[in-house]
Amino acid sequence: MKGLILLFSAIAFAVATCTAQDFKSTLQKTFDAFENTQDQQQKADLSNKLGLISKKWSNEWLAHYYYSFSQAAVSYGEKDEAKRDAYVDEAEKEYDEAKSILGKDNDETYVLAAMIANARLAVKPQSRWQKYGKLFSEDLGKAKEMNPNNPRMYYLQGVSKFHTPKMFGGGKKAALPYFEKAEPLFAAENSTDITKPYWGKNENAYFMGQCKGDNADKE
Amino acid sequence: MKQTLHILKAKKVLITLGLLLSGSIAAWAQATISGKVVDDKGKAVAGASVYLDSTLDGGTADTAGNFKFTTTETGFKTIIATEVGHENGGLPLDIKGDMSGLLIKLKSEKTHKLNDVVITAGSFDASNDKDKTVLKPMDIVTTAGTQADVVKSMETLPGTQKQGAENGLFVRGGDASEAAILVDGMVVQNAFFSGPPGVTTRSRFGAFQYKGVSFSSGGYSARYGQALSSVLELNSLDLADKSTINMGINMAGVYASGTKLWKNSSLDIGANYNNLSPFYGIANTNYKFYDVPVGGGGNMHYAWKPNKDGILKVAVNGTYFSSGIAVPSPFQPDTDLNYVTKNTDIFSEVSYRQMFKNKFSLYTAASYSYDYNDNKWGSLPFKETDQRAQYRLEGKWYATTRFSLLAGTDIQHYSIDRDAWLPQGNSVDTFNRYKQNFTETQLAGFVEADWTPVYWLAVRPGLRYEHSELLNKDGIAPRMSLAIKTSDNSQVSLAYGIFYQNPDDNYLLYGYRPDFQQAVHYIANWQLNKNDRTLRIEGYYKTYNDLVRERTTTYDPNPYHSLYGLNVDNSGYGYATGAELFWRDKKSIKNFDYWVSYSYIDTRRLYKNYQSEITPDFIANHNLNLVAKYFIDKWQTNISATYSYASGRPSYAPDWNSVTTPDYNNLALTIAYLHTFGGKWFTVFYLGMDNLTNAHNIFGYRYSDANGSPVVRTPILPPLYRSIFFGVNMSLTQFSKDEL
Repeated sequence: MKGLILLFSAIAFAVATCTAQDFKSTLQKTFDAFENTQDQQQKADLSNKLGLISKKWSNEWLAHYYYSFSQAAVSYGEKDEAKRDAYVDEAEKEYDEAKSILGKDNDETYVLAAMIANARLAVKPQSRWQKYGKLFSEDLGKAKEMNPNNPRMYYLQGVSKFHTPKMFGGGKKAALPYFEKAEPLFAAENSTDITKPYWGKNENAYFMGQCKGDNADKE
Repeated sequence: MKQTLHILKAKKVLITLGLLLSGSIAAWAQATISGKVVDDKGKAVAGASVYLDSTLDGGTADTAGNFKFTTTETGFKTIIATEVGHENGGLPLDIKGDMSGLLIKLKSEKTHKLNDVVITAGSFDASNDKDKTVLKPMDIVTTAGTQADVVKSMETLPGTQKQGAENGLFVRGGDASEAAILVDGMVVQNAFFSGPPGVTTRSRFGAFQYKGVSFSSGGYSARYGQALSSVLELNSLDLADKSTINMGINMAGVYASGTKLWKNSSLDIGANYNNLSPFYGIANTNYKFYDVPVGGGGNMHYAWKPNKDGILKVAVNGTYFSSGIAVPSPFQPDTDLNYVTKNTDIFSEVSYRQMFKNKFSLYTAASYSYDYNDNKWGSLPFKETDQRAQYRLEGKWYATTRFSLLAGTDIQHYSIDRDAWLPQGNSVDTFNRYKQNFTETQLAGFVEADWTPVYWLAVRPGLRYEHSELLNKDGIAPRMSLAIKTSDNSQVSLAYGIFYQNPDDNYLLYGYRPDFQQAVHYIANWQLNKNDRTLRIEGYYKTYNDLVRERTTTYDPNPYHSLYGLNVDNSGYGYATGAELFWRDKKSIKNFDYWVSYSYIDTRRLYKNYQSEITPDFIANHNLNLVAKYFIDKWQTNISATYSYASGRPSYAPDWNSVTTPDYNNLALTIAYLHTFGGKWFTVFYLGMDNLTNAHNIFGYRYSDANGSPVVRTPILPPLYRSIFFGVNMSLTQFSKDEL
């Protein structure tokens, strides 16, 4: 009888770890696929998939975190302004969800909040930079207080500088130090564990190349 | 035996497990689900996420709305489709095998939420907070010919009259006194720098001091009163964005300001010194500035957020200005008169706004302003002191997301003291010293509801009560506006209201106590707003009742004529009707933004010392503005041009015969070059040219004393025709590179 109980509990455990394993592997598989495609249609499709994951495992903050990230990322590739805003709305909603499960922010959620603010700004930069530029720096400031070694922080700052017109103090030259700061921090990260966000490494390398490239000085 | 039993049992368990496993393997047989997602008009919804509820099985609709995915689920399930611009939709399914041809309909409700219905009749909003606004503060600064003056930039909007000789906003048939200028709901009694008669001066407001500007050309909210035609509302900035330093130099002077941002508070302190010698020095002025305008001032703005939903603001603004100019005497236009102005002005304000649990908001504000003019007409002193204290309390209850109710009260106490040499009776040769003054206390209470019963309809009824202590009069002013959404991007707005205003201060100073003057507005507009393009057509009809009238038998065109010994009553009346067009396009050409505003007006009134119902001399029937801005990325340069046209205006001679001035034309150009020095000094070099074509505009005529003959007519000219203005502004974007 004792054996039977053990057997059942072993099965129960296996099933439990199986769902946990299932969650992580499904999330990781979907997210990696999302990260590895540049096609907007596929990105939107995979983001929808991340949405399903966040609905199925709605108690996992990570599920909401990644879905939120993906919606914000998809918004950049969309052309219609109203739709872009709608994507950012969804990203914001999911960020709130992740935060409420966690009970408080951590450095990664602050970085995500900064990215969402930037996605909002990017829809209409001329009329929004004032409000959302401020939120962006505030959120990054809070992330930095918690973890000054988070590479995504510097990466996002770099991207923001990269897209800021030169006359406002942006441009490739101004952006490069941020990507250079992020690079060794990315290298020190473990990019296999989905529970510890690791996105941004490839993009950081890409932007660094852009800044150092032949055309960097000409702009 | 016991062991065997165990093994048997274990076997049974294994078999059961095996069955379970094989069961789930059986369920792995895949079914393909396909169909189409459409909206309520049958149009494909591209990019919709389609999935089986509580599973990971799903797909995304392609550009034709078609979707297809496989699932291992069987039995009763719900298929759901979601898309950011639509409400979620779904269907119950009983999955037994492949299913195709499913049609899922999604309502476009969410798009309507993105484009909420907004009441726009008679109002133009410029704000950084809201997306759906017609103008942004930045647009004001970059509009050529406005010299970054908030009030002047309003003259490029429909409903306003182009002015060159008198300060203030002349809106839809109303004169300058009929438009109120408010900061955070508080009346600004001297919105413009003091200047000599016939010479316009700047308003005291810089565009960057305000986060939003709301201009109403009629039918405005029950929150405000004492303005027959219009209200221009400025909303001061909240907490500063960051600590910074800003400074600049131009042909009118130098200025510098510093901003310090703490965690929950910020302080902004600035000072300026103005000297217009360089500006008037290189221009050919139509008047002789023997003492160019010289002055200076300081300002302070403090903001504190004691909690997330509350903000306290304290602001003080003080200026001193003096100038001396030889202008044609209003009393003897064919002779010049030295006019000296020495003006001290202070505007101070404290306000507090608090939101309680997103359900209730409270706003309270107090202001005090002081303005002292120590002027001279030739050798005759003309001194005037204006003082005003105001208190305002407003509460707003957000009952639901669709209904809110606002109630408030407003108390104003103000006085004007004048110690001046004024003409005695009708004679222009005899001046006597008069001491005039009045003190007025006005009390107002108001309620206003915002109700959106359905997504396509917004209604805003309001009621205002006003009491004047000085006149001992009461007024009840109902207001009503509504908006109906006619399509995703268009809407119709209507507004109606009764508006009261005290008689002009001058009558009160001379001791007359007539009744309130009244205007009734009816406004209808249609607005199309799509992809950064705005088209607006507005029509209105206004009636004026009880306008203050001097019962004289002769007309004296001199605006400073003596009011002693007259019979003054409320027998004046009039009307104004017109049509206006506004078109703005920011989209068609990259970095190119332009707008066109055209106003037609037909108005007549009998008031002041008019001898019959006529079109007032500040009215041009046609007003046109073309504003264009182009940003050249490569050169980091913004080029902006404004062309303004106004048809001729009537001018009335003492014998009540009229002439019409020539048409008004003005072409202005501004070029701004943007550059960041040392990675942190954001710098703008700007060059503005007004009246490029050197058009000799005339704003009306002055007439010599009617008692002498013959009457001499002299044109009212702007201080200068073509003019050039340049300068540079620098602001610190970051103190240090501590980010790395």
